[in-house]
Amino acid sequence: MRSKTILLIVSLLTTVGLLVACRPAVPVTPVEVTRIVQGTPIVVTATPAPVVKEKAPDVLGILPRSETLIAAQLTGRVGSPDDFNEWVGWKWRDRGMQQLMNEPLWSVDFATGKIINGLADGDPVYNENFTQVTIPLRKGVTWSDGQPFTAADVVFTVETLMKYEGFNAHSFFVENVESVSAPDDYTVVFKLKQPNSRFHTTFLDRWGSTWIMPKHIFEKVDDPVKFQFNPPVGTGPYKLHSYDPAGYWTIWERREDWDKSPTGIMFGEPKPKYIVFQAFANEGAKILAQLTHQLDAVDLSAEGLKAALAQGKTNRAYQPTFPWVVNNDPCITGLTFNTAKPPYDNPEVRWALLLAIDIVEYEAQAVDGAATMSPVHVPSLGPYPDYYIKPMQDWLKEFTLDLGGGETFKPYDPEAPARLAEYAKSRGYVIPDDPAFIAQAFGYGWYKYAPDAAEKLLIKNGFSRDADGKWRLPDGKPWRIEVISRSDMSHLEYRNAAAAVQQWKKFGIDAVHVPSDNVSALTQYGEYDVSGNWPAFEPWGAGADLSRVLDVFNSAYVKPIGEMTQGHTSRWSSPEMDDVLKRLRETDPTKTDQVVAIGTEGLKILVQNMPGIPTFGYIGFVSWDEYYWTNWPGAENPYTQPYTHWGPFKYMTPFLQPTGN
Amino acid sequence: MNFVKRYLIPRLVQYILVVFLGVTAVFLIPRLTPTDPIAHTIAQIRSQGAYLDPATVDEFIQDLKELYGLEGSILDQYIGLWKRLFRGDFGVSFFQFPTRVSELVGRALPWTVGLLLTTTVISWVAGNLVGGLAGYFSRKRWAQALDFAAMVIRPLPYYIFSFTLLLLFGYVIRLFPIAGGAAIGSVPSFTWSYIADVLRHAFLPALSLTILGGTIWFQTMKLIVQNVNAESFVQYAKLGGVKEGIIVSKYVIRNAMLPQITALGLALGQIFSGALITEIVFSYPGLGTLLYNAVITGDYNLIMGITIFSIVAITTAILLLDLLYPLFDPRVRYR
Repeated sequence: MRSKTILLIVSLLTTVGLLVACRPAVPVTPVEVTRIVQGTPIVVTATPAPVVKEKAPDVLGILPRSETLIAAQLTGRVGSPDDFNEWVGWKWRDRGMQQLMNEPLWSVDFATGKIINGLADGDPVYNENFTQVTIPLRKGVTWSDGQPFTAADVVFTVETLMKYEGFNAHSFFVENVESVSAPDDYTVVFKLKQPNSRFHTTFLDRWGSTWIMPKHIFEKVDDPVKFQFNPPVGTGPYKLHSYDPAGYWTIWERREDWDKSPTGIMFGEPKPKYIVFQAFANEGAKILAQLTHQLDAVDLSAEGLKAALAQGKTNRAYQPTFPWVVNNDPCITGLTFNTAKPPYDNPEVRWALLLAIDIVEYEAQAVDGAATMSPVHVPSLGPYPDYYIKPMQDWLKEFTLDLGGGETFKPYDPEAPARLAEYAKSRGYVIPDDPAFIAQAFGYGWYKYAPDAAEKLLIKNGFSRDADGKWRLPDGKPWRIEVISRSDMSHLEYRNAAAAVQQWKKFGIDAVHVPSDNVSALTQYGEYDVSGNWPAFEPWGAGADLSRVLDVFNSAYVKPIGEMTQGHTSRWSSPEMDDVLKRLRETDPTKTDQVVAIGTEGLKILVQNMPGIPTFGYIGFVSWDEYYWTNWPGAENPYTQPYTHWGPFKYMTPFLQPTGN
Repeated sequence: MNFVKRYLIPRLVQYILVVFLGVTAVFLIPRLTPTDPIAHTIAQIRSQGAYLDPATVDEFIQDLKELYGLEGSILDQYIGLWKRLFRGDFGVSFFQFPTRVSELVGRALPWTVGLLLTTTVISWVAGNLVGGLAGYFSRKRWAQALDFAAMVIRPLPYYIFSFTLLLLFGYVIRLFPIAGGAAIGSVPSFTWSYIADVLRHAFLPALSLTILGGTIWFQTMKLIVQNVNAESFVQYAKLGGVKEGIIVSKYVIRNAMLPQITALGLALGQIFSGALITEIVFSYPGLGTLLYNAVITGDYNLIMGITIFSIVAITTAILLLDLLYPLFDPRVRYR
């Protein structure tokens, strides 16, 4: 009896083992491919996606899989699946509403650095003192129910948003708009209550914007705030097909009259007939779904991407080689100090904490060295190196700190990216020696690892070490830093916070990492020391204008601790920055030279005061399955931004190619 | 009459008091935490770098307070809550504004009840039946083998266990779907194809819950039966020549069932709290993730809606058990 039992267990284990072992091995034959790095073709080694025919399970039931693209929904399960009224509250607009159903007036495409005209037919035209703006609209566009799109829709949208307090944008339009009118069907004129040279950006889609309502539908509604707008009608190339009442999936179908949408007019017919956004509650399921060809595009964690690439036969990442990641996301990550709280109200303390960071170790701990560092509060990508980071090199090299006792220190280190490249090589990754590649992949410079200089700065400000070498505050109490972040371990806020804690512990500070699901309230109310929050607001991702980055440091927005701040969570401001902001607001955003000059001043003030430490640009861990769809906008062919959750995903759809599987 | 006065009325009073205190606690506790629904709403609207003009944030906060009914003192809000509850209205969800809480709960409830009611009942019946037999025949080899299997399975973390099932049957063997409550594109209907699809999607979550739940019932029942089996009245019955089948069913298992019935009542009441980890592993719809997200985002109304529902369900289950217990236990009946 016992031997039978043992035999049964062994048989079961063997069967499972064989099933796992019989899965085809991953092809690892590398080939040389050409990549374009900042306009220069270079040859790198890459592992191509093999062509493997394999029957994928038909999970769709009603939709032909070969004509359907499935993407994971970034923000997860939709909480209000019946409600498409995206002008009120949060409606999980990345379920396809902002990417497929809507066309904004303009979109930011951070991969090309361009502003794409959607419903608008050109740039906004301001009057001399920025109190009036005229917007030309595209002709020939219809809503998905066949009604023509005209200026009356724009006028109606703005007037409705101003009329009802429940709309998210109500306060903005009431604060800014004196009147809105349509002199003809394709022109809108706004008269503003005060000068505002950036008013039009409320209609510029950068992961959200003010979208236009279909007047012919909303004008018949009694309460547009509570109206569910179901089925929704948009000017994008897709219309709603169906959705899961439990919120796990939404299906969009290509409009028969796709050529009446701005996407169709500009780029042609979208290739997938259906696009599904599916929510997964855990990353393991996303990876399994992609490995079984049930998911074409997904954002993963660093570890998840490695697992998907290691196991998948038809998977690819944004870059074909290390560091694989999407490294042109217009966002700088890092750390934010609560400058309303001592000792972080002292810029020299903030600089000491920066100098206690070895950026190579820090990046290794945070992202295995796979991100592009930036010494200033904009990411080292897209237009920003040319406009700001490269021209600022001389100033950064000469920037000097006063360590006390007549001693000074120049903290900038243009060799930091090369050190990071050496680290990556030591990990076995193939890194070309081309300086252009290293600058593009790892950045143009950061700051020296200088614990000695950090020590001198702290001693200058009354800090001391105890007998165990631990740092004490000027009042003699032990110095404990709590670094808060989101609790999601894959998020770069978490990664930055965890890496900072390791660095500061090494320096002798009692630093602890406090992950919290309540981090948004803690930071907005100022109840923290240091956070993994972005050190500045994200730039537009196109053009030179830094108003979005700098405006949150306006002193008018700073609130005392305990009140919700309107501006940046560092609660930092200065008269010098206010002056920069005033001049920036009075400058036409299309006047590049003037905008760059003022923006550079703003970035220098941030470096000098360091209310938050910029570390590395946001990196996305995108995994694409090429079993059904190819021609994804990877690093070798970045024809548009690579995410399926950003608005310009609609502009990717005409270029995707079905494989015929 | 004596039953009503001495047994029924005290339990009804206790029932009402527990519900009152529970609702009051559920009202107060979220408001004492630092979680702020308005801060969360603003953070979500600003997610992925989306822009909210800083100059108008103050006005927006005021608008949200009015929309969410968060103006006025705590006492005003508390009185407003009871007024709404007496009308059967839990208000609107803050984070999923303006969807009503009752609509959200109603949408998630069928999935949770369908999965957890089935698995709780199946695992209870199977675990107790097999556990009772294994306890009585504890020296048999099959009983020892089952006991060994239970000892191996029970300490496994549920997340690991359920994810292993997903990996094995969703990826390696590919018998069952990886995620969701029904196939993408399917429309809820009372057709055989839809029901079969739902059952197919529910199989792995149900299997994971049934195996682990059944193992717990099995081990508990086995231990109780072993204890009852050692009682004098069982020994006397054996010595008296009572048939073994009657000893097992009428003497041993019937006595051993009493604590298990109480535990079943509590387990059924707790169904309404959802099964968070199951929902996360299998991306399965239900109350668990709804409640989790409500706590994370400070959605007071939704937290209250789900937990009040859960409080009422558990206290009602306990009340019903108390009322039904005399049927199972003559000692209570004779009192």
